[in-house]
Amino acid sequence: MNFFKPKNLNELFEITATIDEKYYFLAGGTDINVQIKHRMIPQNANIIFINELHELQGINETEKQIIFGTLTTFEALIKSDTVKSYLPLLSDNLQNFASPLLQTTATIGGNIANGSPTADIMPLLLILDAKLILANKTGERVICLSDFYSGYKKNDLQKGEIIKSITIEKSAQAESKTYYRKVGARKTLTIAKVSIAALWEIDSLILQKIYLAAGSLNEYARRLPLTEEYLTGKKISEIDDVKLFAIIQQEITPISDLRSDSDYRLQVFNNLMKKIIT
Amino acid sequence: MKSIKKFDAIPKLNGSWRYLDDYQYEGMINGQFLLSDFHHGKIKEIIFPEGYNLEEFTFARVSDIPGTNIVPEPVNDQPFMVDDEVMHKGQVIMGIAHPDKRLLNEFVKSIKVTHNELPAIYGMKQCLDDEANHFGKADIIDHRTDTPVDPNWIKHHNVYYTPHQEQAYLEPQGTIAIYKPDTKEMYIRVTAQCPFYVKGGIENIMGDAIENAVVESTEGLGGAFGGKEDFPSLLSGVAAILSYKSHKPVKMVLERNEDIAITTKRHPARIEITTYTDPETKKIKKLEIDYRLDAGAYQTCSTVVMSRGILHASGGYAIPDTYIIGRLFRSNTPINGAFRGFGAPQAFAGMEAHIDLIANDLDIDPYKFRKINIFHIGDEFPTTQPVMENNLEDCLDRVIVKSDYSRKVEEYRVWNETHDDKKGIGISMGYHGGGFTGNGEKNMKPKIRVTIDKDAIVRIYVSSTDMGQGAHTTLAQLFFEEIGHPREKCWVELPHTGKTPDSGPTAASRTIYIIGNLLAKTAREIKKELGFDNLEEYVKNHQDEFPKEYFRIFIPDSSVVFNDQKYIGVAYKDYSWAATVNEIVWHADTYQIELIKSWNVLDIGKVVNNKIAVGQAEGGILQGLAYGTTEYIYKPGFGRINGFTDYTLPTTLDIPEIDVEFIHTDNLVAKGLGEIPMDYPAPSIRGALHFATGVMIDEYPLIPERIFKALKEN
Amino acid sequence: MKIEFKLNKKSVMIEVDPMKRLLDVLREDFKLMGTKEGCGEGECGACTVLLGGKPITSCTANAVHAEGKEVLTTEGISEEPDGKLLIECFDETNAVQCGFCFPGFLVSAYHYLQTDGENDLEKIKTALSGNICRCTGYQKIFEAVMMACERKANGK
Repeated sequence: MNFFKPKNLNELFEITATIDEKYYFLAGGTDINVQIKHRMIPQNANIIFINELHELQGINETEKQIIFGTLTTFEALIKSDTVKSYLPLLSDNLQNFASPLLQTTATIGGNIANGSPTADIMPLLLILDAKLILANKTGERVICLSDFYSGYKKNDLQKGEIIKSITIEKSAQAESKTYYRKVGARKTLTIAKVSIAALWEIDSLILQKIYLAAGSLNEYARRLPLTEEYLTGKKISEIDDVKLFAIIQQEITPISDLRSDSDYRLQVFNNLMKKIIT
Repeated sequence: MKSIKKFDAIPKLNGSWRYLDDYQYEGMINGQFLLSDFHHGKIKEIIFPEGYNLEEFTFARVSDIPGTNIVPEPVNDQPFMVDDEVMHKGQVIMGIAHPDKRLLNEFVKSIKVTHNELPAIYGMKQCLDDEANHFGKADIIDHRTDTPVDPNWIKHHNVYYTPHQEQAYLEPQGTIAIYKPDTKEMYIRVTAQCPFYVKGGIENIMGDAIENAVVESTEGLGGAFGGKEDFPSLLSGVAAILSYKSHKPVKMVLERNEDIAITTKRHPARIEITTYTDPETKKIKKLEIDYRLDAGAYQTCSTVVMSRGILHASGGYAIPDTYIIGRLFRSNTPINGAFRGFGAPQAFAGMEAHIDLIANDLDIDPYKFRKINIFHIGDEFPTTQPVMENNLEDCLDRVIVKSDYSRKVEEYRVWNETHDDKKGIGISMGYHGGGFTGNGEKNMKPKIRVTIDKDAIVRIYVSSTDMGQGAHTTLAQLFFEEIGHPREKCWVELPHTGKTPDSGPTAASRTIYIIGNLLAKTAREIKKELGFDNLEEYVKNHQDEFPKEYFRIFIPDSSVVFNDQKYIGVAYKDYSWAATVNEIVWHADTYQIELIKSWNVLDIGKVVNNKIAVGQAEGGILQGLAYGTTEYIYKPGFGRINGFTDYTLPTTLDIPEIDVEFIHTDNLVAKGLGEIPMDYPAPSIRGALHFATGVMIDEYPLIPERIFKALKEN
Repeated sequence: MKIEFKLNKKSVMIEVDPMKRLLDVLREDFKLMGTKEGCGEGECGACTVLLGGKPITSCTANAVHAEGKEVLTTEGISEEPDGKLLIECFDETNAVQCGFCFPGFLVSAYHYLQTDGENDLEKIKTALSGNICRCTGYQKIFEAVMMACERKANGK
C-alpha cells in the first residue's frame, strides 16, 4: 500500500493533487479493511489516513444547525446530548447499528462515502434533509445528501474533495412524527434487506408534509419524491392503497439476491408504509 | 452430579491457552490451498502471476504424493488433491507454501486456472429430486407387515427439505506439519476431533516415505461440532507434503471464507414420507420414508450419516408397518460430513413435521396425537430392537406440564384473533442412540490407558479431544468420583497418537457414554483389585508397586447384535431422549419469527457435571433452533454464502429464554449428550409457525421470505 | 512507520507497516496470542480489544490506529480487578466451552463493567451483541456477567 498520513486538511489536498490514480480515505477502517481482505482494494492502493484530522472531528452546533464532523463515530452520535435533544430519530434508531464493537470506530462519513445501497445511516439522514460540506483545496461547497448519489457507488465527490461534515437543521425533526425500521436477517450485526425512514406532520387527519426514504431498495438510498408528492396534503382516509403502492413501485427497484427476494422486499416495504399512514 | 470447575477455563480467558494458530515453530512457513473455482471440469493450464520468485515457494502437487491420493474414510473415494477431473468447486488443486503469509495469499489469489467445463449439479433440489442421481447403494429398514392398506385409512404424503448447515466453530481449521528427516517421522499438530483419523490420513498420503506419523492435539480446540472430524485429514495431508518437500514446519490455517466454502457441512436432505392413519383410533398404521442426503462430490463418511439418519427417521412412534430407504445423492459440491446430530436432525425435521401435518388434518392437538402414537415398552423400533423404557414419553409429558402448554394453546389462540402479530407454540421430540451404530464399537475396539504414579497422580490416556464440551473434565470426573480420589490428582492427558491409545473418534455422542463409562468401570476394577479405601494412602504405603499401568478395551454388551446389511437388531444399546415446547411471536409486517421461550426436557441418564451438561444442552438447542429458522448456505440462482456477514448465526439479541431440565438422572449409566440437543428443536418451530399463521412450510429454514411466499400462495 | 502506543499499560514502540492489521501486530509483533481471529471481517468479535478505552474489532483496525493510544488485550484485562472478577465468575459458572470467543467476551464484558455495570440482562445482551459464541447458547455467559455486576455492586 502507498500510505499517506497528512497532518491536516491542507496536507491532505496536497497529497490528493499528486495522485493520479484512485485513492481511499481510511477513517475507522471497518469497511476498508474488509474490502482489502476481499481484494476489492488492491495491494498497491493509495491509502490516505484521515482518522486523526481534527478538522473532521466533533459534533458542533450553531444557532440553527448541528454540524457533524465526518469522523463522528456511531457511538458518539448515539450518545450525543445534542443529538438526543434535537434529533432523537438518530440516537433512538442506531442502537443496534452493526455491533457495539463496530460503532466505536465506524464513522458516519464512512458510511455515506462507502456508498453501499444498504448503508444504515442514509435513510435517516435523507429524511432529515441532511447536507454535506465537501472541502477541497480551494474551499468548500454544500450539496444535499439526496443529490449526492446518482447511481450504484456513484457520487458527486470530485477528485481532491473530501466529505468534511454533515449538517442538519436543528429544526429538522422538531415535533414531527417519525418512523424508522430496518429489516435484517437478525436483530444486530446484519445487513438491511429493507429499510424505511419517514418523517411527517399531520394536522386534522391531513398529511401536511411527509419525507420518505427507502434503503436497500435501489442502487443507493433514496427519497421517494413521487410518493411524497402523492401523499402530501391528503387526508389519511383519502389515500388509495392501490394507487399508493403503484407509485411506490415506480420509485423502488428491489432485487433478489443471496440475502432476500425482490417480492418479499417489496411487500415488507408496503407493509411498513401501511404502518405509517394509519 | 457435582459441577466441578473446568480446569481450562482460566487459561482460556487470560489468553494463555494455545490454539492451533498460537503455536510457533522455528523456521515455520505458511501454507495455503489453490482451489478450483469451477464446479466440474478438467484443468487446462495453471498460470502463476508475474513478479514472484518461484524458488521461494514450495508446491505440493498430486505428483508429489509418495503414498495414495485417497483420504481414508468409510468410503475411500475422495482424493487429497485433484487428480484429473475437478469434481466440485473449492477442490484442492495443490498446496503452496511460503515464509510470508500475506505474500503467499496474494500469490495464490492471483493464480489463474483455465479449464474445460463439464456439466455440473450444484443445486440442492437439482441433486435430490432426481431419482437417478444417487451413488448406487440403498440402505433399507424393512419392517413391513403383510397387513393390507385399509381403504378407510387416511393417507398423508409429503416431501420435506433441510438445508446445509455450517458448523461455524469460532476457530477456523488449521494444521501444522513437521517432517523430521532424521527419524522419517511426520509430526502433526492439528485442531481436530480425531487425532487417529488424521494419523490414518498422513499414513495414506505419505506411504513408505515416512516411518511414523505422530499426531498431537492442540491445547485448545476452538469448537468443532463434527466439522473437524474428517476435514483435518485432508488439510494435514497436504501440509505434510509441503513439509516433506521443504523440510520446514508448515502451518496452514484457513481464512474464514475459505473454511466456509470448502469444509464439510451438514448434508442437505430430502425426506419423502407417506403414512396411513386410522381415523377411528388416530393411530398411524403404515409408514414409508424415502430419506435422501446430498453427499456432495464424494461419499466419504456419508454412508454412516445416512445409516444413523434412517435409524432415527421414524421418530419415537409405534408404527408396526414401516419401510425406510436411505440413499446418498451426488452433486458437484464440496463433500458434506459430520455435524452434530449426524443425520438425526434431518430425520426429525421430516418426521416431526409430518406428525404435525397429520394431526392438523385430523384436527387433533399435536400433543394428543403424539401421545396416541408414541412408542412404549413392548413396542419395537423398525429394526426390531425392543423399546426398553418409556422415558421419551416422560420427557414429552414433563415438558408439556412445565411449559403450561395446554393453557397457552388456548390463550394464544384467543390472542391471535385480535392481534396482527401472532403467538405460536409448537412441540417436537427426538432421540439419539449413543455410541457408534450397530457393530461400530465392536469393530473399533476402543482402547484406554490409565497410569498411577508414585505420587498418586492418575493419568488418563484417551484419544478423546476436548473441543469445549468439557470432555477432559468430565472423563476425569467419572474416574476420580468413582473411587473418591482428589480431583487435583487425576488428569486426562492431551491426546498424542504416540502416547494415547486409539479410543476412537470424539464423535457419535460416545465420549462419556463409551469411554467415560469404561473409565468408571476401570476405576471400580482397580479399586477392587488393589483393595483400597483411599488410593492416596494405598500408594503411599505400597510405593514399590508403583507406577502402575492399566489397559482396557471396550467390549460392547453381548446384547448389542446388529445386522448392518439388513438393519435388524440392536442399533444402539442406550438412547438419550428429549422433547421440547417452543414459543414464538410471528411478526406480520416483516414475516419474521421471533423466538421467545424454549422448554426442553432431556433424559441423558446420569449427569456427570450438571453445569457442563446444561451448557452443552443450551448450545446445542440454540444451534437446533437456528437450523430451523435462519441458517442456510445455498440459494438457487445465487450460489453459496461464504462469510459470517451473511451466514446468520444468532447473536445475544436473537435468542429465546432457554429452559433445560434433565430427568431420570438416577440412571447408573451416563448416556450420550453431545448431539441430542441439536436433533429435535427445529420442527417445533415449524409447528409453532403453523399455530401462528396457519401455514405449514416444508423446506427449512423457516426464513421470512419462505413464510411470505407460503402465505401468498394460500 | 514508527508507531508508539501503550500496550497493556506499558509504553511500546515498533517499526511496522502502518496498514498491518492491529490484530496481526498484537499476535505477530508482540506475541500476544490471546486475541483471536475468527472471521477477519469484524463479524464475530473474537478479536476484540480495547483501543482508547473503547472495544473494537482489531481485525478491522490498522497499526496506525493505535498510534498514541492505549490498547488493552485480554492478557492485560485479566490482570485488572474487574477482569479478575469476570474471570472468577466465568470460572464458577463453568461458562467456558471451547473458549475461542471468550477473550473477546472478556474484553466486551470488562468494558461494560467499567462504563456501566448495571445488573440488567437487556443491557448486558446489548453490550455483548458484537461477540458471537457458537458453543454455549450465551446463557451461562449472561449468568456470569450478571454475577460479576452483582458482586462489583456489592463491593466484592
